[in-house]
Amino acid sequence: MLYRVEVRYKKGVLDPEGNAALDALRSLGFKADAVATAKVYLIETPSSQKDVEEMCRKLLTNPIIHDYSVSKA
Amino acid sequence: MKALVMRAPGTNCDSEMVRALKTVGFDAPLVHINDVLREKNLSRYDVLVFPGGFSYGDYIRSGAIWGKKFVAVLKDELRDFVAAKKPIVGVCNGMQVLVEAGLIPRTADYPEAAMASNSLGYRCMWTWLRVEKNVCGIAGLYKKGEVLRVPIAHGEGRYTVAPGTEKKALAELEGNEQIVFRYCKPDGSPAGGEYPWNPNGSLSDIAGICNPEGNVLAMMPHPERASFFWQFPDWTLGEKREDGLRLFKGLAGSAGGKSGRSI
Amino acid sequence: MSDPELVKLSRDGQLSLSLEEMREIKKYFAAQKREPTDVELEAVAQTWSEHCGHKTFKGVFLTNDGEVCNIFKKYIAAATKKINAPWCFSVFEDNAGIVEFEGDWLLSFKAETHNHPSALEPFGGAVTGVGGVIRDILGAWGDPIANTDILCFGPLDFPDSKLPAGTKRPQYIHDGVISGIQAYGNNMGIPTINGAIYFDESYVGNPLVFCGCLGMLRKKHYVRRTKAGDVALLVGGKTGRDGMHGVTFASVELHEKSEETSRSAVQIGDPIEEEKIKRAMVRVREEGLASGTTDLGGGGLSSAVTETAQRTGGIEVHLDNVRLKYPMSEAWEIWISESQERMLLTVPPQNLERVTKIFESEEVEAVPIGIFNSSGKLRIKYKGAMVADLDLSFMFGSSFVQKTDARFTPKTHVEPAFSQPKDLTHALLKILGMPNVMSKRRVIQKYDHEVKGNTAIKPLHRAGPGDAAVLKPLDDSWKGAVLSNGFNPEYGKISAYWMAASAIDEAIRNNAAVGGRRFAILDNFSWGTPNKPENALALLDACRACYDFGVAFNAPFISGKDSLYNESPMGSIAHTLVISALGISPDVRKCVTMDVKREGNALYLVGETKQELGGSHYYKSMGYLGASVPQVDKEKAPAIVSALTSAIDSGAVRSCHDLSEGGLGVALAESCFAGGLGADVVLPKGMRSDFFLFSESNTRFVVETENEEKLKAAFKGLPLLRLGTVGGKRVRVAAEGKTIVDAGIDELRDAWEGVSK
Repeated sequence: MLYRVEVRYKKGVLDPEGNAALDALRSLGFKADAVATAKVYLIETPSSQKDVEEMCRKLLTNPIIHDYSVSKA
Repeated sequence: MKALVMRAPGTNCDSEMVRALKTVGFDAPLVHINDVLREKNLSRYDVLVFPGGFSYGDYIRSGAIWGKKFVAVLKDELRDFVAAKKPIVGVCNGMQVLVEAGLIPRTADYPEAAMASNSLGYRCMWTWLRVEKNVCGIAGLYKKGEVLRVPIAHGEGRYTVAPGTEKKALAELEGNEQIVFRYCKPDGSPAGGEYPWNPNGSLSDIAGICNPEGNVLAMMPHPERASFFWQFPDWTLGEKREDGLRLFKGLAGSAGGKSGRSI
Repeated sequence: MSDPELVKLSRDGQLSLSLEEMREIKKYFAAQKREPTDVELEAVAQTWSEHCGHKTFKGVFLTNDGEVCNIFKKYIAAATKKINAPWCFSVFEDNAGIVEFEGDWLLSFKAETHNHPSALEPFGGAVTGVGGVIRDILGAWGDPIANTDILCFGPLDFPDSKLPAGTKRPQYIHDGVISGIQAYGNNMGIPTINGAIYFDESYVGNPLVFCGCLGMLRKKHYVRRTKAGDVALLVGGKTGRDGMHGVTFASVELHEKSEETSRSAVQIGDPIEEEKIKRAMVRVREEGLASGTTDLGGGGLSSAVTETAQRTGGIEVHLDNVRLKYPMSEAWEIWISESQERMLLTVPPQNLERVTKIFESEEVEAVPIGIFNSSGKLRIKYKGAMVADLDLSFMFGSSFVQKTDARFTPKTHVEPAFSQPKDLTHALLKILGMPNVMSKRRVIQKYDHEVKGNTAIKPLHRAGPGDAAVLKPLDDSWKGAVLSNGFNPEYGKISAYWMAASAIDEAIRNNAAVGGRRFAILDNFSWGTPNKPENALALLDACRACYDFGVAFNAPFISGKDSLYNESPMGSIAHTLVISALGISPDVRKCVTMDVKREGNALYLVGETKQELGGSHYYKSMGYLGASVPQVDKEKAPAIVSALTSAIDSGAVRSCHDLSEGGLGVALAESCFAGGLGADVVLPKGMRSDFFLFSESNTRFVVETENEEKLKAAFKGLPLLRLGTVGGKRVRVAAEGKTIVDAGIDELRDAWEGVSK
């Protein structure tokens, strides 16, 4: 099974890369209100979705600053 | 006295760390993390040191892979080491490892803090650090309020706690006297989060922090790069500083398993 | 095949070979009574490429005064031979030049260019440039201890509307290249301690990325004795379709479609893989287990294996053993792949197990891919078939001699005529803020210049720009390695000869300014196509200057590199010769920085100021080029440099700063705001004061002293001029009874830092 894990910053956590992208886009004349960055992992595994969520808690995120979502890709 | 300096693939601040430790009298073997995990024998060392670098490329998050790998294999040994009040020091990537491993700000199964991206990206520069009132025996040779010069070199050094919990977390850290170093202005006044004095935007200008017991120290600035006078940026003016070396001298003093103390 | 068919084959196959060379190949295989395989054609193309064969430098130049053969040998190597320095350990032989340092410790030094890949994919191009030059150091058994980077870009404010189709914005290239250098050097833990960034319109379509690396090794670590019977061990990352034809692509001019046709020439780098290889290599060298090594760079396995096999007399390669990233059916792709982070080791069979184990313990793959022999042949087997069977004597015996037409009459230039502006404070502030002069602090701080804890003199001296960086790499010695560079493409627009002379002078005076001496230098040419006689003549002139001034300064060339064909739809790049200098300091505690130290100290100007403003930033700030390009005095310049060294050793020098772009005005301002103190200075009579203040005459320094008698003694018989004293918080310059510059040090620093008012 192929899972898609998306790791995002929690609301309220500074996202310097997102802010830099926002500034750059605006400087090129694009209209943009906000940019947030996220990391996506595509995981091929026989494990259950629950196990993949455990992967997120144990390694792929730091729960202090990250939210995540797991879906079947 | 034996200080175990560990290295993972991508660790690269080990040679200067070993040099500083040897200078203050440590036997400081440099051992690959795979060998440490295989030997499973932390108790034969007096001090554990996680030096800086980009362990495992800092993929996923800085320090995460090393921290998680270490805990997965050596959780009990590590907790015994901490409980025995033996010192553990993490510098730069080593601090990130200690946070990810759940040893800083205190022993926990999941991290209770995060080392987030600097607000202005990677920087290599010299900073001023103020020594705070702290329980860290390793920093015992510094006087409270003293201003140190130590360089940083990192992209992810912004000490962060869960949004909304900042006040509570700070109150706890201050109550326990866990904040060891804060970034400050050259005269010792607070950086107030302002660049370049606070180079990464860390919470309350935190640069170095210890556990409540005071035997685990994690700091982003590099004392091993500020241990000999000729490493300082202003030495041609005639100053002979060794700000960083005094940390290692303090480490040597506290390495006998002595408990932390207030200064 | 007919001639047109041969030409077509060379072009379509990206072989970049001339018709004469294609005919030579045809003749060889006719004698063998068979057709060449793909692998064989590719193998020959790699060995005969400009990148590997340096055909232009080793060929014949036709000039108005007759033929000149092999300008590399005649000028560059000849200078080194003439100097015959006993401390040179290995020159032009290995991937890097090697000189003695302290006891049995040696320093190895090398700089590479990675221009075309950086034009197409700036981040990846820079990453692989840095990774490649580090492997050059590893390939001569060095442990890399410092990086240097010199970068040339189009002006960052170059209008998008004027960008040729297919060309990326200078800001994009600038940011990407710097991120790439940061990513590789920092992650590998090698301090980037020296460099420069230069902007010129000619680099808009073809940026330049010079990557240098300094390494250390002991004499006994230097092993180069591969024998028949030794195993060829390929270590590092897996092989994929990365960087195909990088070598031959280097000799093709960039054009609108380069991005589509040549994308595969750029690759992804992995600094952590290379860090692991480095750890293993250092262990292998310390245990003395290998008989030789070389890096896999341009030309991949083809270049590395063939050049090593030439020394033993042959090899049989089993390509099936090469670990691949994904299935690759074509043997030639494996043979010429330029996948990064790979090295070739040659290992006596009895040591193979131990060496493999070391690599395993560092989590690096190591696979034997062949055995060296003395058959005289390069034989390659793949999937049960012989895919190449070539005589090494043929591969290394090409009779082709490149002919380069350098018959060109240089353009004449004129000196501008204008009266002295009233406000030279304004002129100085303007020059301080020009892109080539202004602060590079934001870039310097992106590079870790402190890692390893050996950086004794840093790229920034307090708030100002250092002339050279100094490393103290040994715990038990005060000896320092001093790194600096020199180049000035603006001068090359007037005279390639004086540009080259000035580059050598600048690299050496930067080095000497902090206390360096015993200079070994690297020459890195980045040039427009030598097919234009103007470029060819300039190249020849620059090489002549290399001989003249290498010899004059007693500074041997120990390694170098040429990147020709730097063209874009906007034309040839400015002639760019980068000279990197490696000096030594007997005791880093005696090194000097450029920041003024103490109120009341005297300031002196060392060297002779002439009315040389051609190519100066003063002229440039007014839109002129001029003709009076700075020259170098073959007798006086080396004498001034060695007098400065004596003065520094005697302790008479408290600060020292070399004069380059912006001349005395800029150097004085930088030294003052760096030290947080002002100065009062009076210029001598005899020259228009704006010319004196901004002339860029070579071999000059601003020196601060507490002991004027000692300083004068060191410079006896040489040009030395008392300028004034350090003090206050303003820089004031007077000439003929009038104040011509008066500015606060904060104002000067802000102009230099680009702080908007």
